[in-house]
Amino acid sequence: MTAFAPNDPAADAACVIAFRDITKRFGAITALSGVSFAGYRGTVHAITGENGAGKSTLMKLLAGVFTPESGEILLGGKAVRFGGALGARAAGIATVFQELTLLPNLTVAENLFLGREPRRFGLIDGRAMRERAQAVLDRVGIALDADVICGDLVIAEQHLVEIAKGAVADADIVIYDEPTAALDGPGVEKLARLIAQQKQDGKLIFYISHRLDEIFRLCDTTTILKDGKHVTTRPTRELTRDDLVSLMVGRELGHLFPRRNPRPRRQDPALSVSDFTAERGRPPVSFAVLRGEIVGLAGLEGHGQREILRAVAGLIAADGGRAQKYDASGKVTPLSPAVVATARAGLGLIPEDRKLEGLYQPLSIAQNIALGMLRRAPMASRARIDQDRIRALMGEMNIRARDASQIVASLSGGNQQKVMIGRWLASGVDVLLVEEPTRGVDVGAKAEIYRLLREFADHGGAVLITSSELTEHIGLCDRILVVHDGALVAELAGEDADEETIMRHALMGRPAAAAVS
Amino acid sequence: MTRHKKRLFGRSGLGVIAIGLPAAMFLLLSLGTPDFFSARNIANVNSQITALLIVALGQLIVALIGGIDISVGSVISLTSVVLASLSASVAVPVALILAALVGLGNGLGVAVFGVHPLIMTLASMIFVQGFALLIMSAAGGTVPPLLIALAKTNIAGLPAGFFWCVSALAIVAVLLHKTAFGLRLFAIGANAQSAALSGVGVRAPRLACYMLCSLAGAIAGVYLTGRIASGDPTMGEPFGLNSVTAIALGGVQLSGGVGSVIGVVLGTITLGLISNGMNLVGVSPFFSAALTGLLLLGAVSLQRRKAIGI
Amino acid sequence: MTDSIINEPALRSRWPRVLGARLANLPISYLGTVALLLGAGLARPNLLQPFLLLLILRQAAPLGIAVIGQSLCIRMLSLDLSFGGIALVVSYILTSGLLRLPESELIALCLLFGVVVGAVNAFFITRLRASSVIVTLAMVLILGGIVTALSQYRAPGSAPPMLRYIGQARIGIFPVSVMVWIAALVPMAWFLRRSVFGRFVDAIGANPRAAWASGIPYIRTIYVGHILSSLFAVLSAFLIVGFVGFGSLSTGADLALNSLAAVILGGVTFGSGKGGVIGPAVAAFMLMFSFNLLTSFGLGEPGKEMAQGAIIALAAIAYAARGAAPAA
Repeated sequence: MTAFAPNDPAADAACVIAFRDITKRFGAITALSGVSFAGYRGTVHAITGENGAGKSTLMKLLAGVFTPESGEILLGGKAVRFGGALGARAAGIATVFQELTLLPNLTVAENLFLGREPRRFGLIDGRAMRERAQAVLDRVGIALDADVICGDLVIAEQHLVEIAKGAVADADIVIYDEPTAALDGPGVEKLARLIAQQKQDGKLIFYISHRLDEIFRLCDTTTILKDGKHVTTRPTRELTRDDLVSLMVGRELGHLFPRRNPRPRRQDPALSVSDFTAERGRPPVSFAVLRGEIVGLAGLEGHGQREILRAVAGLIAADGGRAQKYDASGKVTPLSPAVVATARAGLGLIPEDRKLEGLYQPLSIAQNIALGMLRRAPMASRARIDQDRIRALMGEMNIRARDASQIVASLSGGNQQKVMIGRWLASGVDVLLVEEPTRGVDVGAKAEIYRLLREFADHGGAVLITSSELTEHIGLCDRILVVHDGALVAELAGEDADEETIMRHALMGRPAAAAVS
Repeated sequence: MTRHKKRLFGRSGLGVIAIGLPAAMFLLLSLGTPDFFSARNIANVNSQITALLIVALGQLIVALIGGIDISVGSVISLTSVVLASLSASVAVPVALILAALVGLGNGLGVAVFGVHPLIMTLASMIFVQGFALLIMSAAGGTVPPLLIALAKTNIAGLPAGFFWCVSALAIVAVLLHKTAFGLRLFAIGANAQSAALSGVGVRAPRLACYMLCSLAGAIAGVYLTGRIASGDPTMGEPFGLNSVTAIALGGVQLSGGVGSVIGVVLGTITLGLISNGMNLVGVSPFFSAALTGLLLLGAVSLQRRKAIGI
Repeated sequence: MTDSIINEPALRSRWPRVLGARLANLPISYLGTVALLLGAGLARPNLLQPFLLLLILRQAAPLGIAVIGQSLCIRMLSLDLSFGGIALVVSYILTSGLLRLPESELIALCLLFGVVVGAVNAFFITRLRASSVIVTLAMVLILGGIVTALSQYRAPGSAPPMLRYIGQARIGIFPVSVMVWIAALVPMAWFLRRSVFGRFVDAIGANPRAAWASGIPYIRTIYVGHILSSLFAVLSAFLIVGFVGFGSLSTGADLALNSLAAVILGGVTFGSGKGGVIGPAVAAFMLMFSFNLLTSFGLGEPGKEMAQGAIIALAAIAYAARGAAPAA
């Protein structure tokens, strides 16, 4: 694959950094494959693409957090390999991470200078540190006292301090990873000023974002990634908004997804949520999931769709509102914020992180599935495990394993995901709450998982999913609820939805045309 | 320029309980027991508190990174029997080296192999206690006179323990609040991953913390052995848990990142005053051991953790 | 251990490898016991007389019963170090004569006490999320302090006759206490294997967060586990008091640490029940035998403690190192 290269990057003195054929895998998943492009001194360079396109992974390679499987990073024409975050910083690369890395028990000044504290006679020079920190804050225009403990700041202020870290760093390359995700208007202005200043100082700024306004306003060059592949690197002025969106999205769905149920759906709900506030400070949401349907909560990362799902599952305590479960006969059970209770009421959660929250890795397939069957069993009773049912399930779900006694940790991601689904199928719940149904799963298994979820719905179950893959919403869901800033801003029918529409709602919030039922 | 008021106590963890409890104890004892202000009792309290304070300062260092060291009591015992059974010239260096080795073992187990600090230090607590008993099966032996003098001489009317306390406090206060090492301990304790992303090494400081804690145990052992003027293989037994209680009462968060030298002083005084008060009003010392247990339960219950477990 | 062996199974016989892997997976206690018996056969052959072996087995019975409770706690990622305190209180209730009650009521009172201590431990561990090590150690301080203080007013006396019988008598050559041990072990093993509770224990041990997220009654399971653990400690104290014949302030002092070491030697590690209940039971015998051996070499108490400490540290490191490998 040829890179965007006006000149030969390695020979050009203005070329600070070049990626050559970078590939990075996580287990079976290829996060980046054959990415090549270059970055130049004194420019602001946008890296953009959908959720999961590989933007953050690429920048974490540059920040020394990950190392690539193959390919090389050329820094000033020389291939480099960083041994961790420390090495990258020593090489003059500073990163403002998307997630907050501030330490809540240190002051603003201490956070800004952690790891390179000014010293006098071997001790920390507290006054110099404070003064220099205050100078940086003033320069960026952040009205904060450098002596305040960071834990006392509100989140938006913490993000401002995080950004000030980029100003403190004596670096040639500064990476901003989704810096405006938690900033308000004035905050964005401050960031814009800082970036302009750094650009004038001759630094290269990588700006990771999928906010179109900011890209067009701040960035000289834009690199677009899709599915871990490099799409293009062009001067931003040569692009229009429509170009950008169509380059970011758009993919054929193929026959990955099962056919939607053509029958008119029954209108009885399995789950309803009203005036429900998953987290303090978010707007209340109301929606219902009917029997036989799959509903998707779509949105950009960090906009609260995950919290809504988790609060319904009882994993986090909702701040207000009501969630109710209806069983097949129409009997209503109010859901309390305790997983034991929601599981008994017939809700099953399939969490995003299989290893951490989903599976019992050291136990066998049979043991993992059997635990679902014991959902309502009294503790002192004998554990009656229907081994035939487990074997039958394994067959139906096409779990590829030696036999039911194989340890789950030794299975592939797709088969592990099926075991998790199998546990709830065996348990007899009729509502599934699924986070990222196919994360870390190969394409073949993806199709099977979609089929299983569809069959579950066809047999009278209800499914609510969150996913960062838009294609998944479009291909799988009957209805898509788009979440922006914690609010439901659009409801789209799965058949009619396309990626651009969803993205537009997810990016820009409530557009005039969108009607929310 | 900003609506944020600077937090009075920063990351010290000082709060109503840490400050109020010793004050209340002091008030109660001074009103309720006539002997409390007698010179003898004050001196008595001071010597009881000195050793605990030194150990608790070591425990504070480990707690700041979210660790715990319950083997420190056994290190005191080990120091004591080494001092009482080796010749004067080598006894102190050998005791310090042995303590550093215990700390190194704890640190390797926790920081390198990833063993839970409670399990690791529980194991070394038992091992070192056995080793101390192997060297000397019962109290006795002779202690170098210089050590006795160091622990017992009054200077300018102040007991020696006072100077031990002040020096230990000064050293640890500077280390924690004035050096980059100290600042990084707070950072690691709050969130090791974020600290690493900010370019702070994590493993070496963790190891150093366990070694410092064991060394604090050895120093407390030197002081105690000098005061008693003989070796005792079980001298340190109560100190492991008592030091945890003391720092927890002083507002130090056992999950890491929050704590202060002043808090440790207050916690130690609280614990010292409680046992002294029990003593003055004639409660059996065994009941006060039970009370220490209750205090420990109370103190750790005030600090709700995220996870259930060891 | 080269790949060629795996790739060319036809060329080389696989069974030595399989056997090797099997042996390496066995609890340390099996091999350790064999090694100790062989070693004793060479150095101290008189320890191997059947009479002495049965004596050691009887010594191991109280520990063996405590081990059942400890391994239950460890399988669900908890720890119970309060055995010493429980044993002290049980000994005091039974022997001080403070309560003038018939023997059966005293025993019932002790069992009730066990339930209360277990529930209190579990309360602090689950509801207040305090560390199980700290909670149970504090429990020892509290219970030990109270009993020691009370003993100043009324010293412990001799044990009730029924417990003395259980602790000391034999049927044929077979000590009754060993039968009590087996009578506790077998139903518990069956219960853990067959009951819903056993499944929940395994699930919590394997992944507590998953157990939480999938709606397993996490807190109730830990309550039941800790209550059972305390009850086994009470039973263990019955045997100790019965065997010694009178109460003392050192009753059960090293029960907690010995049981911890035995559980680990028996192949049960934090969060995994691999060694079952037999592995730890064999380990209880192995520990008692090794202490006798150490004593015969003149190493006595200090050697015992160092061995306990080393076992716990090495096993914990080995387990942590093994656990870290696949996660990386």
